[in-house]
Amino acid sequence: MFRSTRSSRPPLVALLLALLLALTACGNSSADDGSTEASGSGDGQWPVTVTGDNGGLTLDAQPENIVSMSATATEMLFAIGAGDQVEAVDSSSNYPEDVPATDLSAFTPNAEAIAGYGPDLVVLSDDLNGIVDALDALQVPTLLLGAAADLDDSYAQLETLGDATGHADEAGEVIADMQDRIKAAVASVPQDVEGTRVYHELDPTFYSAASSTFIGGIYSLFGLENIADGAADASGGYPQLSAEYIVGQAPELIVLADTVCCDQSAETLAQRPAFDTVPAVQTGRVLAANDDIASRWGPRVADFAEQLADVLKG
Amino acid sequence: MTATAGRARSDTAQQAPRRRRPGLVIAGAGLALVVALLAGIWVGALPLPPGAVVGTLFDRLPGVDLSGGLSATQEAVLLQLRLPRVLLAALVGAGLAISGAAYQGVFRNPLADPYLLGAAAGAGLGATLVIAYSPSQSLGPVGVVPLAAFVGALVGVGCALALGTAAGGSHSATLLLAGVAVAAFLAAAQTLVQQQNTDDLREVYGWLLGQLGRAQWSDIALVLPYLVPACLVLLFSGRALDVLAVGDDEASALGVHPGRLRLLVILAASMATAAAVAVSGLIGFVGLVVPHIARRLVGGAHARVLPVSLLLGGGFLVLCDLVARVVLAPAELPIGVVTAFVGAPFFAGLLWVGARRR
Amino acid sequence: MNGGAQVEVVGLSAGYGRRPVLESIRLTVEPGGWLAIIGPNGSGKSTLLRSILGFHPHQGLVRIDGVPTTGMHRRDRARCLAYAPQTPVLPEGVTTIDYVALGRTPHRPLLAAPRGIDRQVVADVMDRLELGALADRSLATLSGGEQQRAVLARALAQQPRVLLLDEPTASLDLGHAQQVLDLVDRLRRQDGLTVLSTLHDLTLAGQYADRLALLSDGRVVAEGAPAEVLTPAALRLHYGARAEVVVGPHGPAVLPVRSANRSEA
Repeated sequence: MFRSTRSSRPPLVALLLALLLALTACGNSSADDGSTEASGSGDGQWPVTVTGDNGGLTLDAQPENIVSMSATATEMLFAIGAGDQVEAVDSSSNYPEDVPATDLSAFTPNAEAIAGYGPDLVVLSDDLNGIVDALDALQVPTLLLGAAADLDDSYAQLETLGDATGHADEAGEVIADMQDRIKAAVASVPQDVEGTRVYHELDPTFYSAASSTFIGGIYSLFGLENIADGAADASGGYPQLSAEYIVGQAPELIVLADTVCCDQSAETLAQRPAFDTVPAVQTGRVLAANDDIASRWGPRVADFAEQLADVLKG
Repeated sequence: MTATAGRARSDTAQQAPRRRRPGLVIAGAGLALVVALLAGIWVGALPLPPGAVVGTLFDRLPGVDLSGGLSATQEAVLLQLRLPRVLLAALVGAGLAISGAAYQGVFRNPLADPYLLGAAAGAGLGATLVIAYSPSQSLGPVGVVPLAAFVGALVGVGCALALGTAAGGSHSATLLLAGVAVAAFLAAAQTLVQQQNTDDLREVYGWLLGQLGRAQWSDIALVLPYLVPACLVLLFSGRALDVLAVGDDEASALGVHPGRLRLLVILAASMATAAAVAVSGLIGFVGLVVPHIARRLVGGAHARVLPVSLLLGGGFLVLCDLVARVVLAPAELPIGVVTAFVGAPFFAGLLWVGARRR
Repeated sequence: MNGGAQVEVVGLSAGYGRRPVLESIRLTVEPGGWLAIIGPNGSGKSTLLRSILGFHPHQGLVRIDGVPTTGMHRRDRARCLAYAPQTPVLPEGVTTIDYVALGRTPHRPLLAAPRGIDRQVVADVMDRLELGALADRSLATLSGGEQQRAVLARALAQQPRVLLLDEPTASLDLGHAQQVLDLVDRLRRQDGLTVLSTLHDLTLAGQYADRLALLSDGRVVAEGAPAEVLTPAALRLHYGARAEVVVGPHGPAVLPVRSANRSEA
């Protein structure tokens, strides 16, 4: 695990490399903002220009060696049929089952390691450690698609990826499918569900997601009332609540998004002190969702909406 | 002979009023603790009518039958969330404060705190290892994280003691240095593990900053068997610490074994600290600041500083927890942040007053 | 008060690491006597005292009334020997009476509360040393002389049979030095204590002590009555000093001589 450091040569090389990167970064053109449309939809129309959070990106040919550093982007790529073009995905990408997972870390991304795969497109959801600049310096085409704020964002990202990979038509189909399924799920619940108080749990220390978040937006679609909204001023939409507050708010529906990471379930919920007085626990309206489905903004949000509808229907 | 005896008696009479004062302070500190506990029970994210609260609590006593007047939810919140939390805060605060006072006495250093010999770093490493790598979160009725933190704290102190005694006997300066070395090493190891498992980052940080938010009666049951004996030992060791205060040589001349005494006090204080840390994470400043307050009230004699620290520490942490719960309700501040916000200005004030006096 | 004990030091050798400081020291102090250990800087006076007290590892024997100290329990030794160091550690925020009360430690279980007898002894001792008015003052607020008296009071509260004083007058002016030594002498006579002290002031040593032991280069080079030990020859040889010795009513006094040229023939 630990490499032995030898003479003073590695530091010298690192110094030269750093200088080189700095020089090329200075000479690199800054990313431009503003909307550039995809010049050419559908397959086979290259070059194509797409826009991500890091500005415009022009791809001269269909990328065949995509590296995805975002679990959601991985799901999207495979959903729109670009799976064959994906060379490597990061360690957190786990869906679909046969993705080419690697040790690449999305939290501490390493430009050299990513470049080692010879990518012609890298998709990221976070710009940590200056990774976007580093990849630009190495002249690797990079697309930054950050966490979606709402469903429309999510659809826009699908379109962008569709254009970028030459699967724009399939992307459109996936979007339509998602919209239909979500609409059907919302329509299928009875009218009196509106106003039901919901508590979305991110982890056993009572971190929650308020209505301003992506997942909170889904609850708004169903007309549910999110108890985290009372505390949402702090923490940008992901406040940490207290047991007392949650019990006091008496939510009628609890969604657990920590079933995988932290082994939470309806049973563990009922065992928590004072939670046996909570209506959701008493009536059994607890959705033990898969952590990933309940937190990513990819096509599986439709699965989540359907699961939610099932629980609400009783 | 009679003259001297008479004078001696009058001297003692003059001293008597002064001797009553520490008793007053201790009573006052006890009262403050009770007030803090009441405040902690009455105030919270869920408003509870104070009268009904008292009624419900009295109803719990055997033989008393009062209708509480609280709904089932309110009663559940009071008895299963708020009451254990407030009691745990008092226990943890008391344990940390008396350990801090004992450490300051043993090392003859007013900047010593209970985390000095690697207890904090060890507990942090234990908790991080378990949060990152443990497949299950509980071992039977006991959570794995508290267990790992407890063991980690004791291991940290044990390493520091072993290193210190191997390096140069049981002098306090050697132990201090050994503690610093061990703490630095364990903290580095903890950071490494943490960075290797960034998915668990939030949980690790939540633990490190100290939290009483998930206090349950089972936590109190977990902590009592270690905290109570350790605190009893420390309470009784006040006089021993007074003797140690004159230095190893003079203490030796007074007939005590400074090395053994120091070891006993360190072990008891570390046990109390480990128990406190196991259930509440790393709450800083309590062990550092409260003994200083106690010293201002009753002077430097450890026989008095230790019990006063115990009581004040309990009240202090209960109040800090109150602030943590209420300031951003319903969100909560990590309690370590509140104690730091109170403790840091307090220290600045101490420095200021001390400097001006000179 | 049991009266003083006889202190015998037999063949005591000690050092720091590989450097020997004391070689085969042999001393005897009779009960109730006062032996002052004198010698130039670096002769090992403090090391000797610390070795006798057991702080410093040493070879050889120290016997109190014939009983070797190595066999004694720490607490028993503390009931016999009381130590007043040259620079005592004065803990912060402690009152004088609490500090003096520390001297009672060897007489009761460590964790027990002070009993009536302890309070009585402390009150008595503070009275004799005129510290009564300072009882509730913080130690740090006392003057140098008062602090010295407090340290002495603590040592006396131990009700020892031997008092070991390390440079009791080191930081005191002449007046205060005399006060302290007068006090020690008076206590010695009242209680029959044996006193063993190191003193660097030769005149005071000569005037107050029964016997002197001159330590030089780690050996006892002279021992006996002050007049026998304090001779100009000894001072020239061991101190490298020029001095005359004048016999006063209470003992010899050492008069330094400025230079051979200026003395009147």
